[in-house]
Formats: sequence, C-alpha cells, structure tokens
Amino acid sequence: MTLFLALLGIALLLASCQSKDDVPVHQPTAYTIEIPFGFPTELNIPDDNPMTVEGVTLGRYLFYDGRLSGRTHADSLMSCYSCHRQERSFEAGIDHPDFPGGYPHGLSGKHTHHVMLPLINLVWNHSGYGWNGSVYKDNVNAEYRNIEDIVRMAVMAEDEMFGDTSRVVALFNQLPAYKQLFQDAFGNPEVSFRNIERAIAQFVRTLVSANSRFDKYIRGELQLTQQELNGYVLFTTEEGADCFHCHGGYGNPLFTTHLFYNNAKDSIFDDPKDRFAISADPMDHGAYKATTLRNIEVQAPFMHDGRFKTLEEVIIFYSVDLVQSNSVDPLMHHIHTGGVRLTEQEMSDLLAFIRCLRDDEFMTNEAFSRPQVLPDSDTSY
Amino acid sequence: MRRIIIAVLSILIIASCTKEDHKETDKTARLSLRFDHLNQGQSLLVDSLMYINAANNLYLVSEIQYFISDVSLYKNGETHLLDSWKDIHYVDTDLPYTWDWELKDSIPSGTYDSLSVVFGINETKNQSLMFVNPPESLMFWPEYLGGGYHYLKLNGKWKDEDDVLRPYNYHLGIGQLYDETGGDPIGFVQNYFTVTLVNESFEFPEAGILKLKVDMDVDQWFVNPEIFDFNQWGGDIMQKQDAMAMAVNNGSTVFNAHWVSD
Repeated sequence: MTLFLALLGIALLLASCQSKDDVPVHQPTAYTIEIPFGFPTELNIPDDNPMTVEGVTLGRYLFYDGRLSGRTHADSLMSCYSCHRQERSFEAGIDHPDFPGGYPHGLSGKHTHHVMLPLINLVWNHSGYGWNGSVYKDNVNAEYRNIEDIVRMAVMAEDEMFGDTSRVVALFNQLPAYKQLFQDAFGNPEVSFRNIERAIAQFVRTLVSANSRFDKYIRGELQLTQQELNGYVLFTTEEGADCFHCHGGYGNPLFTTHLFYNNAKDSIFDDPKDRFAISADPMDHGAYKATTLRNIEVQAPFMHDGRFKTLEEVIIFYSVDLVQSNSVDPLMHHIHTGGVRLTEQEMSDLLAFIRCLRDDEFMTNEAFSRPQVLPDSDTSY
Repeated sequence: MRRIIIAVLSILIIASCTKEDHKETDKTARLSLRFDHLNQGQSLLVDSLMYINAANNLYLVSEIQYFISDVSLYKNGETHLLDSWKDIHYVDTDLPYTWDWELKDSIPSGTYDSLSVVFGINETKNQSLMFVNPPESLMFWPEYLGGGYHYLKLNGKWKDEDDVLRPYNYHLGIGQLYDETGGDPIGFVQNYFTVTLVNESFEFPEAGILKLKVDMDVDQWFVNPEIFDFNQWGGDIMQKQDAMAMAVNNGSTVFNAHWVSD
C-alpha cells in the first residue's frame, strides 16, 4: 500500500510537471542599447516596455507601414516615415516631396502647429518631448508621458494621421504575418494599440546617432581640420559663439540639454504652445526646447516655426539679430549687442564645426531603414 | 582530529561574532547638510527684480547651480574627510531633491573642532566626463577653458546704466591665463576654495543624524571684501580670471551654517 501511494505521488508530480511544460513561455530576446563614449548611462525606458529584439523588429515594420493610419487606400496611407525620413535625421527636411519647405500636414490637410523635431537619441531625453515638453515622465495625465503616448497622439491627431485606434487595431488583426510578429514580441498574437505603441517606441529608442566626425575626434579616431577646431573653440567659449550652455559639447555630447529657453527670437509671445503653456512660468513665454545640433545640417527649416531656411541664417541671427524681451533666457547675455558679433571668418569656422556633427552612418544605417518588404503586403504601403 | 577542527571552527565563529558585536557598539552618527538660498538675509525670491547690490546694481536671480565637495571634520589637528559614499554634491535651486545631502559616513561620537567644505571641485577630482548624466553633466566646463565642471552657475539679470535689463552669467570654474596677444590660454587657475562652515567646537552624538543648515546669501557674491559691479564686468565672467578671482575672494562669506534639530 505504501509503495502504491508513493508511486501515485510520483506519477502526480510528473503529471504536474508535464502540465507546466505545456504552457508556452514567451521569452523574447533582450535588446541592449550600447552607450556611446561620453553619453549618459541613464536611459528613458519605461518599466512596462522593456526593449526586446522582437519588439524593435515589429516596431520598425510598424514605423514604416502606411496602414498605421488605419486605412489601405493609396491616397490615405500614412506612417511615421511619411514625415520622419531617415536621410533627414528622422524629420521631414526642407526638401520633403510632399511637404514643401518642410512644413508637414496631416491627412486632413491641416498643418502641424510647429515644424518637426528629429527622432534622434530620444532614449536620453528625460525632460519632455516636443518643442514645449508637453509629454513628460511625471505628467499627472498618464496619457502624455512618453514616446508610447506620442505614437497614439500621432495616429489620432488631425494634423497627422487623423486616424482611429480601434480601426488601426482591427486592420492589423486581419494581417497574419503581423499577428505572428506581435506573438513574437509580446507573447500574444492579438493586436492591441498599446502593443503598437510599445513596439514603435522601442524602435524609436534604438535610433542612436554617435558616429559623426566629432564623435570620432573625441574617440581619437581622426583629427578635425583647423577650421573645424577653430569653430569648436567658438562653439564652447562665452567670448566666442557661446553655444555650449544650451547645446552641449565634449561634456554633453547629446548636443542639447533637452531644456527650454527663450532664445531671443521675439518680443511678442502669442503661441499657445510655447513652454509657458506647460510650466505657467512667465519667464517661459517664448521658450522652446533646445534642439540637438547633431545632424542639424539636414534638418532645415530651423526654430519651432521654421523661420530660418539655412544654418547661415541661424548663425547670423545669433550674431546680430537677437530681440530683447522680459522673458529672454539669462544665458542670452550677448543680447545688449544684438548677439555674439561673429566675423565672416568666425561664422564660416563655426559652420564648419557644426557640420562635423553630421552622422551619415546614422542616416544610412540599415537597421533603421525602411524594410524592403512589409508584412502581409503585396504592394507598397 | 575532527574534534580539533570543530573546536577551531567554533572559536573562529565566536571570534567573528564578537567582532560584529564590537562593531555594533561603536558610537557613531551621521551628518546631513541642508542647503538654502537667501538674499540679504531673506529667503531668495527668484526672477524678482528687487535686489540692489553694493555697487548699486538692481538685479534679479533666476537660478543657482553649484558643486560642494570634500566635507571635512577637524579634531585635534587631524582631518577626517567624509568621502566613503560620495564626495561631490550638486545643488540646484530648481531641483528640491538636491537641497539635502545626507552623508553616509559613520562619524565617531565626540567633540570636533571645526567643519569645512570645498566650494567647487579640486583639480584631482575635477575630471571631464566623470558626470555623464544630467543635471551634473550639464555643468561641464569646456576643454578649451580648462575642462571639468562649472563650480557655480549663478544666472539672472540686472538693470544696466541705460536702464536696460541685461542677462548675467556669474559662472565660476577653472580660470585661464592669456598673454597680451589674446590668443589661446597659456595656463589655468584652479578657482575652487575651502569654506569653513563651523569654526567652533561641536559634539557628534552617539547615534542619529546631526543636521547642519547651510545658507548661501547670494548678495555676498558681489561684496565683502570686493564689490562686484555688473556694469564694469558685463554679463559673463568665465573667461575673465580677474572677475573670477573676486568671486573666490567673496565666496568665503557667502555661506552661513548652523546646527538644526527636527
């Protein structure tokens, strides 16, 4: 009897083990972001959306798939890529074929409120996304906190995809190859909009640019030209062009602080979407995010409203055209002379340095590029 | 043989327990610093054009960011550097979490003679890229100007002689020496300095946390012993060693500290 009970016990134990093995275990492959030399080690990756190889793969497909608008007709397709072009550091660029001058509009025809910001090194942005930082980690409104939320906002916004998340989900749930990709990424073939947000956000977080001539210079891989070095000195000195406090340098190779400044463009502030709209601080009237200067050469037009078409215009503005106002940032201490007063040669040197922040490897990296074939696609979406 | 081994092991275990017990009976406490910012003895109001310095400049203060390092206790001629956890602390008027620094060092109870800190970072520790994450990384001091980090960023505005509101950046860090050609720097000056926060004997308790409130009176940067006139120096000083030397001289009277209880 004892032997019988023991055997029964062992049999039950084995049966329970067998039952456990039957449950499919979802084990995606962790994706690790390599930290480039000098870059911050703290990444903005939400706890509920860890990076995985499968998630990034899915996100890349979705990023480039025009069906993200929830539509399939050729005239009403729109994807993230429709505006965020790799060859323009993932913003539109002044030469965009559909958005003359680099002023994007949505499927409704409505223009975006501001010109675009590039999708570059955003995994190191902790202080808010967008020109005024309206999407930020500690937002009391949990629907406006991170890149995941920006995906939803872009799909729904009248000046972007003008879509409907339910329709998008219904469409992608009809696509078997995508369902397998969702299974691989999230352990569930059922498409949800939350997982669409997660996948695209994961892909966007992989868009790391750290191979410009300047990066190679600080890693000791090449020497800059004398003109570029002259420009570097101007960039990082108060008596020169005084760019570094807001736009970084060797000690802050992101080339932005990700903070918000009134950089003395105007004296009248009537934009309902400036930084003041978020902070309610009167000193933030006319303040906007300091953009990264990485790849800035290909990101015209410049400033939140795209008022400058060339980098030369921007440099002239900072040199002689600053405008006084009560909310101008204290860092604009050259304002009493209209700007930093660079000579023609200095402007040329500064421009040479700024151009060495261009990262062509980033803008041609196949891992970030449009896939040759999209899932469940017999045509170009 | 087995008995001998067991006996030796037992002795070793007991000895280690004794040591632990001894550790636990050490009388130690910890130190915490609370930073606050004043102007002419009153709580600082940022972005308020209401302060007049000794040079008669009407000015406002927008933000203050700085590094404090090397907290040291002095006792019977010996110096005890409190650096077992971290030795450099960043303070930012916009970031409340930076206003408190609770040091992790266990400090033996007893009477101490004085306490000092370094304003800024000494040349051994002030190495570029030692902070790669913001907000500390945003304090970097350009390589061309000496590298490392700003010791201080004090930003605001003042009314100039033409009654125009002008920005100022009172930034302190490594200074440069230039020759008469005005070319590249020919040398650098370490502008960090030691501030004695407590200069009378005090008791560290046998347990708990001793709290020191450290007040920076911003106006003192512009007076005592040297009067700093914005109209003379303009809106920037980080490439003006003479102006930074004045900041160093004035810096020792900028802080007042006193012990506080909960």
